[in-house]
Amino acid sequence: MTTLHLVRQSAFNSNDLAQCLMIATTADTLVLIDDACYNVNHPLITQTLIEQPELAVKVIQSHAQARAMTTPNAITAITIQDLVSLTFTHEKVITWQ
Amino acid sequence: MAAFTEQETSEVAKTAEILNTTKTLALINSKAPFANTHGKDSLDVALIFASFEQVVSLFFQGDGVYQLIDQQDGSLISVKDYLKTFSAFEFYDIEDIYVCQQSLVERKLSNSFHIENVQVLTAKDFALQLSQHKHVLRF
Amino acid sequence: MKKLAVVVTTPPYSNLTITAIEYVEAALSQGIDVIGVFFYQDGAIQANENVSIASDEYQAIEHWTKLHHEYQLPLHICITAAEKRGITCEEVLDDNDAKSENLNDIFTVSGLGELVELSSSATRLVQF
Repeated sequence: MTTLHLVRQSAFNSNDLAQCLMIATTADTLVLIDDACYNVNHPLITQTLIEQPELAVKVIQSHAQARAMTTPNAITAITIQDLVSLTFTHEKVITWQ
Repeated sequence: MAAFTEQETSEVAKTAEILNTTKTLALINSKAPFANTHGKDSLDVALIFASFEQVVSLFFQGDGVYQLIDQQDGSLISVKDYLKTFSAFEFYDIEDIYVCQQSLVERKLSNSFHIENVQVLTAKDFALQLSQHKHVLRF
Repeated sequence: MKKLAVVVTTPPYSNLTITAIEYVEAALSQGIDVIGVFFYQDGAIQANENVSIASDEYQAIEHWTKLHHEYQLPLHICITAAEKRGITCEEVLDDNDAKSENLNDIFTVSGLGELVELSSSATRLVQF
């Protein structure tokens, strides 16, 4: 029962990430897309990386780079092509926008 | 010579199981009513799926929980009060209505809703119910 | 059996739409069966023939047009969402007292019922 969560907004401005993390379970994957790239430095993400290491956190490389966000080691930078693949290695996709 | 490999058969069976036994759609409502159209847009989707006899469940989280509280009156701000349509959920066979307990607590809201049959869930149970659905849309 | 349906809720001039288009393009290039794109809420604006985006900016409509012709990708517009945003098709001209129709014909006039159909057939439904 794995879910792919797509988060698109900055958590400094929106509750989406918090709501997502409330219901994401281990073995799910969280992908930071568009303005959610700013979340690489957000306390919620930092906390999640420490407390829920089984929850994979990824970011779209080009989206992060466009915004001059450096991806920490614990977050994997991926492409849109990878995102498509992830769509089918998880059972469903929830977009938080 | 078998038509399908054992793995292919098992994958097909698994997919068939998902398609046949899971509920069709979970709609997560995350926005307050009135100021934007997300609540109404979400309701329109719910009613269409229900009228096509698809099983649809409604989830309310974050500011979305405001759509359920009692004593609201959109007419005071010249808004067509789509919330009144919630009373038709039973008629449409929309049976499962879930609200996130934490979201209520954060907003100091009581369990006083303008419709019956609302299930207040912990985050864990909210997630569990979501997982029973084939697709999820969030408005 | 990978069948993908996509819902687009953002307007053509938004960077958020570029993400959706790139996702659909990537899926098609991987040979995935994208059974349809459903345009809802502000996504319906994509069907307005009169949309004019500055020529040095990303041309969302050109991308949809290319995908539509190259892959026969069905592009469904929710007509109710479209009408309130000023997009009119031939069939509702008189009803809406509209001056002229302006629906880009690469888009199919649909309703939410189409979303039900797409959800039924799709193994994955992704919202943008």
